[in-house]
Amino acid sequence: MTLDIEGLGHRYGTERALADVSFGIEAGEVVAVVGPSGCGKTTLVQAIAGHLTPTSGRIRLRGEAVTDRPPEAREVGLVFQQSTLYPHMTVGENVAYGLGPQGIEPDERDAIVEEYLALVDLEAQRAAYPSELSGGQGRRVELARALAPQPDVLLLDEPLSALDRGLRVQLREEIARIQRETGVTTLFVTHDQTDAMALADRLVVMRDGAVAAVGQPRELYESPPTPFVASFLGRSIELPASVVDGDPPRIEVAGQERSVSTVPQQSPGATLRCYVRPSSLSIRPPREGEIGLSGTVQRVTDNGRHFAVTVRTTAGVELVVIQQPSPPAVDETVTVAVPTAELHLF
Amino acid sequence: MRLARGWLNGGRRRPELVVPALLGGVLLLYFLLPFVAFLGRVGSTPIVAGLSTPDARQAIRHSLLTAPVSTAIATVFGVPLAYVLARQSFPGKRLVAAVVVLPLVVPPVVGGAMILTAVGRFTPLGSAAAAAGIPLTGSLLGVVLAQTFVAAPFVVITSRAGFGAVDERLEQASRSLGYGPLATFWNVSLPLARGSIVAGVVLTFARAMGEFGATMMVAYNPRTIPTQIWVAFIGGGIDAILPLALALFGLTLLVVTTLQRLGRLPAVVER
Repeated sequence: MTLDIEGLGHRYGTERALADVSFGIEAGEVVAVVGPSGCGKTTLVQAIAGHLTPTSGRIRLRGEAVTDRPPEAREVGLVFQQSTLYPHMTVGENVAYGLGPQGIEPDERDAIVEEYLALVDLEAQRAAYPSELSGGQGRRVELARALAPQPDVLLLDEPLSALDRGLRVQLREEIARIQRETGVTTLFVTHDQTDAMALADRLVVMRDGAVAAVGQPRELYESPPTPFVASFLGRSIELPASVVDGDPPRIEVAGQERSVSTVPQQSPGATLRCYVRPSSLSIRPPREGEIGLSGTVQRVTDNGRHFAVTVRTTAGVELVVIQQPSPPAVDETVTVAVPTAELHLF
Repeated sequence: MRLARGWLNGGRRRPELVVPALLGGVLLLYFLLPFVAFLGRVGSTPIVAGLSTPDARQAIRHSLLTAPVSTAIATVFGVPLAYVLARQSFPGKRLVAAVVVLPLVVPPVVGGAMILTAVGRFTPLGSAAAAAGIPLTGSLLGVVLAQTFVAAPFVVITSRAGFGAVDERLEQASRSLGYGPLATFWNVSLPLARGSIVAGVVLTFARAMGEFGATMMVAYNPRTIPTQIWVAFIGGGIDAILPLALALFGLTLLVVTTLQRLGRLPAVVER
């Protein structure tokens, strides 16, 4: 285990920022910590980097307890959301900065700077000052600077959030490539679940300072363990549901009774939280194992590659259906097919 | 000339600035009027002769000796204080900040009187120092004490603003790249706040050079340029102070421009 976090807790005065956070990262793994803003992600990064002493818990890097060590005694690379390039140093000097304390000979230092600038494809900008770089170039120099001293862990705190959409996707792919080439163990913090799902081997979903779920992105997306994970990771629609019978399990969804494989509660009449992904829904008559909900089309939004069709059912539930070709017209009466197997019940 | 041309036709017209410019111009005129009137008397007095008297030379020597020392003391102790005030919140911080501006609020004469009550010849500290052969009043050391008291707040206040403008994450990045707090201060915080620190040092030096009220109370003798100007004024009126006043302008201006140039030399940081 390269990074091992055990029972980490932190308070700012009386305000709880982290509560009993535990997870680990294996060598070479990319783990994304996702959660809405204010969920404690930045506090977590600050604690791992050593810029903040947690109120409780332990942090280990490569098996060594580092909780009480100052930042300079931990091998942690750090990239923030905002640029922290030194404006009074050139790109080359910025990248070389972290090699200074390691006592590397000037010749060798030069070669390392060259190597890392080549990694981010910015050899030509070596003599430039940070103010002369574009936003994306600046980010890449920061990556090179953080990686040059070969840290045990690379911490990326919302590295894409300050960029516009196109650049963001491009840089995300760049980070993925750099990570593949260097094999650096990476902890990536973001509020954006798309970035997280695209980059990470594993996700740590956080909420109110605590870990809500840990798992592989696909697995968490397809079978979310909690209603929060279901609604935070990708768009989810909530349908009114209740238990009809516990054994054999039957539920009522949007006014229709169906058999399901399991129910989270047994007592008949108990209210359930039922989520379904827009991509699971289709506008057509229901088939075997599907529920048909009829309603009128409220809105059709053209999202470029697909249409998002908002349907209001007769029971008053708003459904969003992702449809590729030829969407129905507004005010048209349609039937939405909901596959029972793809309902997430809590 | 370039400035004037730019203002008249080359520069972008900013009609919204007409009213503030007119209001500011009134103050500017008020600054310039006494200067021009005072310097207008230069022709009527022999400047060089006035500066070659033993009293005048000694005053110049004393000022050039004390003001840099006071400025250095203020900088060595003031810049770290400014850094702490910019970076750390602690109980009683407002009080500390208030103490820093206290010497600015107190009239210099009163400040001098306060220094006398603390380290004067008849206080335990003052008499002990005098017995040891280092009198704290009526000496160049007394001048330095007075100048430092009055002038040091400038470097603290200005440097604090400078450090405050440096994003703390730049320091955190340096720590994570393997540098300790001192090396980080030296490599990152200090160079990035340099403009403000130099501005503070310049203000402190100019204030120390011109310090009169507190100096007069603590060390009327040995005389500095301002105290000698006072003595000359009592004896001979306005014309008698012209030579030394001009010397004070010239010397202060020289040091101030040199400091500013030094402060700007390597890679000005503009963000």
